[in-house]
Amino acid sequence: MRNLSFISRRSLIAVLVLLLATCRPSPDALDRVLETGVLRVGMDASYPPFEYIDGEGNLVGFDVDLAREIATRLGVEPRFVANLPYDGLYDSLTAEQVDVVISALYVDPTRTADFTYSTPYFDAGQVLVMAEGTEGIDGMADLDGRTVAVEFGSAGDVEARAWARRLASLTILPCQTADEALAKVAAGEADAALVDHLSALMTSMEGLRIVEPMVTSEPYAIAVRREDRRLLEAIDEILAAMRDDGTLDRLQARWFTAAP
Amino acid sequence: MRTTKDAGDHKRLTTETQRTQSFSPFRRFLCALRASVVVHLLQRCKISQTSSPSPRLLQFLLPRLALALFVLYSLRPPPILVVVGPPQEVVTTNPLVGVHTRLTDEVEEWKIQRTLQMVREMGAPWIVEFFPWAYYEPEPGRYDWDHVDMVVRHARAQGLTVIARIGWVPQWARPEETTFTYLDPDGYEAFADFVATFAARYRGQVDHIIVWNEPNLSFEWGYRPVDPAAYVDLLRAVYPAAHAANPDVVVLAGALAPTLEPPGSPAGLNDLDYLRGMYEAGAAPYFDGLAVHAYGLGFPPEADPAPDVINFRRTELLRAVMEEFGDGNKPIYVTEAGWNDHPRWTRAVRPAQRIAYTIGAYEWARQNWPWCRVVAMWAFRYPAPLHNYQDYYTFVTDDFRPKPIYLAVQEYTGQSQRASESANQ
Repeated sequence: MRNLSFISRRSLIAVLVLLLATCRPSPDALDRVLETGVLRVGMDASYPPFEYIDGEGNLVGFDVDLAREIATRLGVEPRFVANLPYDGLYDSLTAEQVDVVISALYVDPTRTADFTYSTPYFDAGQVLVMAEGTEGIDGMADLDGRTVAVEFGSAGDVEARAWARRLASLTILPCQTADEALAKVAAGEADAALVDHLSALMTSMEGLRIVEPMVTSEPYAIAVRREDRRLLEAIDEILAAMRDDGTLDRLQARWFTAAP
Repeated sequence: MRTTKDAGDHKRLTTETQRTQSFSPFRRFLCALRASVVVHLLQRCKISQTSSPSPRLLQFLLPRLALALFVLYSLRPPPILVVVGPPQEVVTTNPLVGVHTRLTDEVEEWKIQRTLQMVREMGAPWIVEFFPWAYYEPEPGRYDWDHVDMVVRHARAQGLTVIARIGWVPQWARPEETTFTYLDPDGYEAFADFVATFAARYRGQVDHIIVWNEPNLSFEWGYRPVDPAAYVDLLRAVYPAAHAANPDVVVLAGALAPTLEPPGSPAGLNDLDYLRGMYEAGAAPYFDGLAVHAYGLGFPPEADPAPDVINFRRTELLRAVMEEFGDGNKPIYVTEAGWNDHPRWTRAVRPAQRIAYTIGAYEWARQNWPWCRVVAMWAFRYPAPLHNYQDYYTFVTDDFRPKPIYLAVQEYTGQSQRASESANQ
């Protein structure tokens, strides 16, 4: 009995060794990218300042520069497939028309059966903005008895209305635009403004500051096919390096600033 | 004094209570109990494998297993009770107000009911809803109407008029490696049979049917070149079958995508040329009204129409084509329309503009389009967030929070004032 079990154990090990020997790593888009020297990037170029066609017909934007930087650090050239409709971005990955989608893409939990996402490179959620020097506001919960300016009808407006039901007294000041909401804070007509992160960054913030943490979160990330794990790892490593060496901050400063 | 906001909060609270029932500590306890029973049984099985199963062990185990299952079954939490309630009536200042709902993939009955309640409370008497053939006839001649019954029952209880959009081809009715929007002429009779069966079953409840969706786009026509004459052949098959099943049915054709694609484009054909192509192929006797998609993009609702511009009043150009072919006595049903307020999409407008344009469009149709029966805006609510620009078309969040546009339309239709008055009585 002992001999039999010894033999079967040896047989099992032999089978496992054989299996391991015949196993090869599954094909990964990273191999193709490095082999061809081209990173194919899918995007819908109708979302300024992330990706759009400028007045001279050039494809420009934060995501375009981000893709170029990632390609450079991979040692390859980017090739943009920028005429995709937003609804077709994931299909372009499935159909292997592109290797990555970099297109102000929300992290969508319902897509994770087929796609994976990099670490987020921007959060487009709602932020609270208040005048520098204002004390006692660390978040929405501190706005009881105060006035918050919002862009009428926006996601910030919806969020503020939800908080108005929780707090005893929160006055909502509706404005026509996010700029106007921020101007109300600068003028002292509102204690804070609740606007989306990008609008806050793209408006003159003189005398204003963004309250941390953000009120809501809408992370943007890069999507790849689920099986392209090594490509995703390479992208995540590059994003981490870009965060550490200040490249991401420089890109943000270039694209997310107020018009002069 | 009970205000509209209070009434809304009460309903929201009820909704949240219902939702939290699903995740109550009691339910978690039951899950843990079930898991421990399963682990216990597995352990017993393991023992029995090593020491060969004995009748005594089975005698010990089976009655206890049966008892445990019975106890667990009898302790299960009750399902959420949904009562249809007495028939309601939509009261509105503008009978043309409508919305396209998205209940196709909404599973839970209370959410279907709540959605339709909120449509009524917004003052919209019309809904457009998609009923995919592929969902409801999974095999030839075998129908599964449960979901349609549920949606229609609740819509009727809320006093809503339903326009059914029917499309999406089941696998059995199309070749392998084709999409849901592919239908060969060989399959037209099968589609007509389904529409007729639908029309007969819901006679008196759903008397408006849209045949297909945006056939002037290649991807809505099975990724083939679009073909107005082939679409007319489809209408020719469906129309008599639907009318034989329900003489009162209003068969709506078109639902064309507003697009500027020129002839020969692989993506599709502009709606004006396509409609002309339909008439030239003899479409007129095979529909009772034209379904129109009237998106405004960045333009206000009153912006002048032009053949090279996509805006809300492009509808008037389609109307002109109908009159050109002597078909001006038929009504138009705007079954998709609207503006998007995504913060960065180049085809979107600011949220305040979206509100003003939406109400302006409802009012424009009421004052200027005597041939228009409804303006249904895309889209009332999605069952779950789509995490893209589409979320910025909705009136209500997936968790039933009314967006400001909902409240503004409610005010426009007189519903908010009505709610305040009834609260004061």
